Amino acid sequence: MPILDELKAAIAKRLPELDVVIGWGKGFDALHHTPVFITSEADLDKLVLGPLSVQNLATYLTRYPKTKKIGVVVKGCDSRSVVQLLQEKLINRENVVVFGFPCEGVVDLEKVKRAFEDQGMEAARVSEASFQGDRCTLTSGGKAGSLPMADLWADKCNRCQYHDAVISDEFVGQRLERKAEDAYADVAAFEAKPLAERQAFWQEQMSRCIRCYACRNACPLCVCRDQCIAQTREPNWVSQRTGVEEKFMFQMIHASHLAGRCTECGECERACPVGIPILLLKRKNNKEILELFDYRAGIDPEAKPPLLAFKVEEEKINERGW
Amino acid sequence: MKIGVFICHCGSNIAGTVDVAKVAEMAKSLPEVAFASDTMYACSEPGQEGIINAIKEKGLDGAVVASCTPRMHGPTFMRTVARAGLNPYMFEMANIREHVSWIGKDKEANTAKALDLVRMAVAKLARNKPLFAKSFAINKRVLVLGGGVAGIQAALDCADGGLEVVLVEKTTTIGGKMAKLDKTFPTVDCSCCILGPKMVDVAQHPNITLYASAEVDEINGYVGNFQVKVRKKPTYVDWKLCTGCGACLEKCPSKKSPDLFNEFVGTTTAINIPFPQAIPKKASIDAGSCIKFKTGKCGVCAKVCPVKAINYEMEPEIVTEEVGAVIAATGYDLMDWTVYEQYGGGRYKDVITSLQYERLLSASGPTGGHIKRPSDGKEPKTVVFIQCVGSRDKSVGRPYCSGFCCMYTAKQAILTKDHIPDSESYVFYMDIRAPGKMYDEFTRRAMEEYGAKYVRGRVSMVYPSGGRYVVRGVDTLAGTQVEVEADLVVLAVGAEGAAGAAHLAEKLRISYDSYGFYMESHPKLKPVETNTAGVYVAGCVQGPKDIPTSVAQGSAAAAKVLALFSKDQLQSDPQVSSVDLKRCVGCMKCAMTCPFGAIKEQEVRGEIKAQVIETMCQGCGLCTATCPQGAIQLQHFTDNQILAEINTLLESELEETQG
Repeated sequence: MPILDELKAAIAKRLPELDVVIGWGKGFDALHHTPVFITSEADLDKLVLGPLSVQNLATYLTRYPKTKKIGVVVKGCDSRSVVQLLQEKLINRENVVVFGFPCEGVVDLEKVKRAFEDQGMEAARVSEASFQGDRCTLTSGGKAGSLPMADLWADKCNRCQYHDAVISDEFVGQRLERKAEDAYADVAAFEAKPLAERQAFWQEQMSRCIRCYACRNACPLCVCRDQCIAQTREPNWVSQRTGVEEKFMFQMIHASHLAGRCTECGECERACPVGIPILLLKRKNNKEILELFDYRAGIDPEAKPPLLAFKVEEEKINERGW
Repeated sequence: MKIGVFICHCGSNIAGTVDVAKVAEMAKSLPEVAFASDTMYACSEPGQEGIINAIKEKGLDGAVVASCTPRMHGPTFMRTVARAGLNPYMFEMANIREHVSWIGKDKEANTAKALDLVRMAVAKLARNKPLFAKSFAINKRVLVLGGGVAGIQAALDCADGGLEVVLVEKTTTIGGKMAKLDKTFPTVDCSCCILGPKMVDVAQHPNITLYASAEVDEINGYVGNFQVKVRKKPTYVDWKLCTGCGACLEKCPSKKSPDLFNEFVGTTTAINIPFPQAIPKKASIDAGSCIKFKTGKCGVCAKVCPVKAINYEMEPEIVTEEVGAVIAATGYDLMDWTVYEQYGGGRYKDVITSLQYERLLSASGPTGGHIKRPSDGKEPKTVVFIQCVGSRDKSVGRPYCSGFCCMYTAKQAILTKDHIPDSESYVFYMDIRAPGKMYDEFTRRAMEEYGAKYVRGRVSMVYPSGGRYVVRGVDTLAGTQVEVEADLVVLAVGAEGAAGAAHLAEKLRISYDSYGFYMESHPKLKPVETNTAGVYVAGCVQGPKDIPTSVAQGSAAAAKVLALFSKDQLQSDPQVSSVDLKRCVGCMKCAMTCPFGAIKEQEVRGEIKAQVIETMCQGCGLCTATCPQGAIQLQHFTDNQILAEINTLLESELEETQG
């Protein structure tokens, strides 16, 4: 049985006890999936699954009251967000049913658009998209084009260590048991650049930020919602003034609020309408935390996150020379 | 808001390098400043009256005083503002003395910086809110850490004052270093004879609970309400049963145990009572050298004990005590003198420390009070004392003077002559430090009556030669090199904080220096207080001291505790965290990072929210840095206040970049 059918069967089995199950459905065109909210068996027909299922649906979990019973379909990376939310007691374990599946990866839609536009096709008017083996074929304006998938995977998928959900109540399909290495080579390469170059890079990138807060809204772990410090005047950390300082301040606050919590699902960067590589900031923090505390967020719901604990003496920060 | 600004001259302390009149004049142009002036001494009676009059006449809502550190006069001016009828927290202090006038001579730069600090204080004060202290009940019991003479004195004075005292001592007996000394300077009376009665008083005092062979595992809470976990280390002897008869000591076959009390001069039995006057006079087993523990066979002590007190299965026991104040009196240890390779670095048996020499002099010591060389048991005829071994020596990282070594070396020279009339003593010294009542007279007696030969100069090396030791040094007064052939060399080793002092300080949440000595609140005016309310220090824990000073500090700390406990309730500092319920999402990250356990969950209309227990909060601000949405704010130091200060400071720069 194909995985999608297995998934539908699994959801159908659990649906009676749930208020809603969040999955992916067809989007506004053949190149996009969009979240669907399944409340009845009839809705199951809307469900799709594949390399276009880019959204991290765990983001929706905190939008519901903790008392609602919610099912959520997760990729491996998304499941880490669920673990992190559980660890921070922001969702109730007994009120969440997690549907996992072996995720081969998702495409980076920007890469897809660029690659097909290079072939003279119009990526905005895709009528058909198919992913067969290691090729992606698109039809747009009557023209068909084909590209190797290897060029289209999202960066996070190329370094993915968690293809199979790390937490699940229902797991459909065969686990991939595959693991890429991630030694934060991208961060290390950026760190190696001279300070002036790095500063100029961020000056330029941040100057393009329009403070639409799409990055924040897409983030599964940005849980302050209406109380977000970026918009409040009490306390007044970021002002309405325009300017790189305010934009950078907001992005730095976002990054530091995610230090030790970010599961690197990359939704912030994917949601950014002007393409600022903001995941790099979060990966920099995560690299430091991995080196200092040997800790990755979103793996163990029982783990104590190192930045949310008070310890007189940290093991790898030897202040006193004991 | 109408703010008054008062710039203090502090005589010439500030006015000498800051144009105070100009700062006052410029302050007048700041928003919300309704009055500004400069004053000769803001803290003086007329200075304070000036502030009060201005508040009343101009109808001010708050005052900024630019003067010294708030550690000095913060409370003074808060009371001044209160006397003028304002809430005492409608006050800010700008430190333009320690932070400005004392650290730079450039008057123009200083004046600019002083104005910056005043601008920041005004920006903060404009956002201050009246705060009100709450009262909380206190537990009038006191914990004394360390049973040396300072701790004993503190415990006795507190107990005599009617307080319940818990005295915790690391070793199996109280008495500390003083119990190890043979005689005391400058009176040359028997150390244990004058300490003994006080030790007995501790044992018999109805208000004192003594835990010997115990250490503090954990201290939680705050002034008036500390919870202390005391770990009673196993002694393998049930002290409720032990009568101290000593039968076990006589029969113990393991006679090669390290003798801690005798500073490792000679050995002792594995089951042991350190000295005849020990309090409590109970036996304990050193598991590291006991044959029963090492091989499983023996058990002689259990067989001979007439009251069946021996228990090889004894486990550590944790006792929780609730107290309202803590006195740390954990004393000192000698620094590791084996770094002095030139003196043998611990390789020569007859090069010993002064504390070891005390044990050789003592009638209850391993030699019965006869001075014998550790190497061959012979009586030494020539004894060389080397002073400042690990004192006033930057090369080993000990720049400070240990203070008491000059005096005890003189005493030991006198005692040497008493014990061995045909002996000769040499003392190599740097300077003689004898500033105490009858102290200088005492060192002169050592030289003039007892013939101790004082040589002013450092020793360059000590090396063995034909069963004796050649001490080579310099006589800087004669300008020559000297060599003395000695039978015994005694090193006056400098003091450092007791082993484990730093760990204990962390548990007490007080500061300590790199030598393990605890920081007092003020070196002159608050010598026994620490910067943690309810925690006091006494004796060598704060720095090297002789017995009279240690005893005085023990009494001083006790007086401080008695004064603290003279009230039934204490006022809590209102500068604590508080939760904005509508912003709080109940993630409780604040509770996870709070070092004081001062944040608990509460349920508000079915939702989890954080709640600060005000009397437990110490105002450290960790929670406010943790809370992502800024829902928890430290009163008097809110994000907005700190941001206002930063923005004020950077105003000109901000305008440049943002146009």
